[in-house]
Parts: sequence; structure tokens; C-alpha cells
Amino acid sequence: MDGIRFTLNGTEVTYGGNATDRLLDVLRDSYHCTSVKCGCKEGECGACAALIDGVLYNSCCVALGAVSGASVVTMEGFRETERFTALEKAFGEFSAVQCGFCIPGMTLAAEALLSKNPHPTEEEIREGLSGNLCRCTGYNAIVNAVANAAREGDGLW
Amino acid sequence: MVNGYAAASLREALEIRASRDVVPYAGGTDLMIENRKGVRYLFLNKVPELKAVAVDDRYVRIGAAVTFTEALACPDVPRLMKEALSRIAAPAIRNAGTFGGNLGNGSAKADTALIEVAADGKVCLASAEGGRVVDVDKFYLGRKKLDLADNELITEILLPKKGLEQYSYEKVGGREALAISRVSFAGVFAAENGKITNIAAAFGAVADTILRYKDIEAMLLGKTVQEAKGLKADYLNAYAQRMTLTRGRVSAEYRKRVCMNLLNGFLTKFGI
Repeated sequence: MDGIRFTLNGTEVTYGGNATDRLLDVLRDSYHCTSVKCGCKEGECGACAALIDGVLYNSCCVALGAVSGASVVTMEGFRETERFTALEKAFGEFSAVQCGFCIPGMTLAAEALLSKNPHPTEEEIREGLSGNLCRCTGYNAIVNAVANAAREGDGLW
Repeated sequence: MVNGYAAASLREALEIRASRDVVPYAGGTDLMIENRKGVRYLFLNKVPELKAVAVDDRYVRIGAAVTFTEALACPDVPRLMKEALSRIAAPAIRNAGTFGGNLGNGSAKADTALIEVAADGKVCLASAEGGRVVDVDKFYLGRKKLDLADNELITEILLPKKGLEQYSYEKVGGREALAISRVSFAGVFAAENGKITNIAAAFGAVADTILRYKDIEAMLLGKTVQEAKGLKADYLNAYAQRMTLTRGRVSAEYRKRVCMNLLNGFLTKFGI
């Protein structure tokens, strides 16, 4: 039987396992994308976020069969982009990273938000990040970092 | 693919559904949490016939695989439904969750199903042999039990184009984002020539199925707002008598009290 073909961070891959397997597990175990974190396995924490055809999903709630033919991007791919550089700089400047566990998901949620809405209001940023839990920062530093990335990185999104 | 079938058209999906033992997969947000072992999924997320929103002379027709994010961006989707959609979970879940999946999961907590029941919505079902249309409130037979045959798929949700302008929607959950409803309420009100023509009230997440009592609603139909005011105590009492709620994350007593408060708030909002 044919495997499931999709693009992972720009590279074509073929997965030979079950179509019912969790994207989260496959990304980590088969493709070693360990930026994708497992926090809750029920779509509540956003730590496993990935972009599928540019749209933000929780990879714990996606079966492999659903990504057949799609382009999947994790932090391993996104960190090669200029947009990532702008977000990384802002997250650093605003001390938006403490333990770091939520940050790959936060960054991809920020990317998903800014690609639809390059100049979000504070409320829109909070809404865009509302599915990503952070137990360290209290969120304000992250929200400010995203707002700053949008300002400083003007034109990138 | 192993343990999965990807359908490229509705026809293909219905053929697979008829000939194999498959679980329909639309957005995956409920299925992947259940994580049933030994199943095969029929992937419907790329079936074009299920991805469209259309409008006919009476209904807004929402494809079963349309996601909540897509519906929020669609000008044809009624405001009442959008209000419920915007309060479902968070962006990543709304990007995945679908109307067919929300209904097909059979939960009385399904936020879009509540709106469909309150709005007298219908669900279109198809099999390789043909199709049928069922009222959403009749589609729910019991807890996790639906009027859906093994060879059928949900294809569309129908919401009336008119008559949903005046409403009340409330969702009570543990927090703002990502909340599973503890009690949800949708009421739809309409009056013509001073007489009440619709006073639909639906309660979600409080029993095995979404609750709606059309016989109690009938007490106020055809009445003026002033007459309805006079009947309000009897009407509320009829609900209080009828509602038998189950305990969930919160007690049945709490749920009932919240339901009665929300119902009262709905009446008050429209002058009753």
C-alpha cells in the first residue's frame, strides 16, 4: 500500500505507518522534529502547534491521513525564515521566553496571526495566542513581543 | 494509505462508506482525543462537495467539512451561528473543527448543534443510494446516538436564511478560550404585527441531548409581549418542572439554576 506523502519543512517525505497515527507523534518520533511539544494531547495547550498549508493546527488533533499532499511546517523549518528572526529578536528583547516549552507553539501561532493580520491590535494578539498556554510568563511579555515584532518586522508579513 | 481512505469526491466517499468499516474523519479534534484503537478513518477534509457554503431561497447550506474559521469568514453564515463559532476554543481548533464533525460526534455539548436546534436547522444525509433531510433536534436520539446509518455521511447543515436576527446566546464555561460548555443557551425570538411568532429556546451541555421543549414554547406563540408577560411565571415554571438535568463537571442543581437564569434573561431581553 502507498505511503502518505507530504512536505515537511520543504522536503518531500513518505510516511509508511498508519493513517490514524497522530501527527504530533510522527513529527517527533519519525522525523525528530522535537520542537513540537506534547503538552496535553487534547488540543488544549497549543504546545504541539504546526502549520499545515500555512494554517495553524494542534498536531495532537491531526491524523496523518489528513496531511496527505499537504505542506507541514514546524519550528525546524520556520526558524530558517526572516520572519522567525524578527520574532526571535522581539521575544528576546521582551524576555518573553522563560522555560521555553510553549515557545515553538507561541511562535507559530504568532506567525499564523501575522500572516493574516500584519498589524494586529493587542486584543487580536491575545485572541491569536489564546490557544497556547504558558505557565511562566503571565503572557504579557509574549503579547508585547509579538506586537513589537509586527512593528519592527513591518513588511515581512 | 494504511488504515485510512482519502476521498477526493463525495461519490467516492459514499462508495467507501458503503463498502468498508470506516469512521468518518472531518477535522479530527474530537476523534484524535478519543483515539479509538483498530479503526480506519475515511478522510473527508478534501472532499470539495463538503467544503462549500451555498444559499438557496430558504436556507444557508453549510458543507459538513467547512471549518469554523471558514464559516466565520463567510458573509452568508448567520450572525447567531458566528457568535457561537467565535467562542469555540481557540484559532487552531477552529481551523480544524467542522460542522459535520461537531454534529457527528453526537455530544450535547456541541456548540454549533445548539444553534442548529434553536434555529430549526436541518441536516442533510447522503448514502450511495440517495439522500434525506432530518431536523437537527430529531437527529439526536440519545447520548452519542444519532439517526445516522452505517452507510451514510453528513453532507450539509441547513440554517434558515431569515428569522434568526433576534437572539440570545450564552455560553458558560470554565474560562474564556478553550472552554467546553458547562451550560449553553440559544434563544431565537420573532414577532409579527405585535404577536410572537417564534420563541425557540435550546439548552446545551446539560443533559444527554440538547434540550428544547416546543410544547412549552407554544404557550407564548401568537401572544403579544404584554400577554406573554402575564404568562411568564407559568412558562418558567413549566421549564423548571420539565428539565431533568444530569450532573457533569458541575452539579445538576447548578446547571438548572443557570438554565433558568439564562431563559429568564432571554425573555427579559425581548421585553417579556
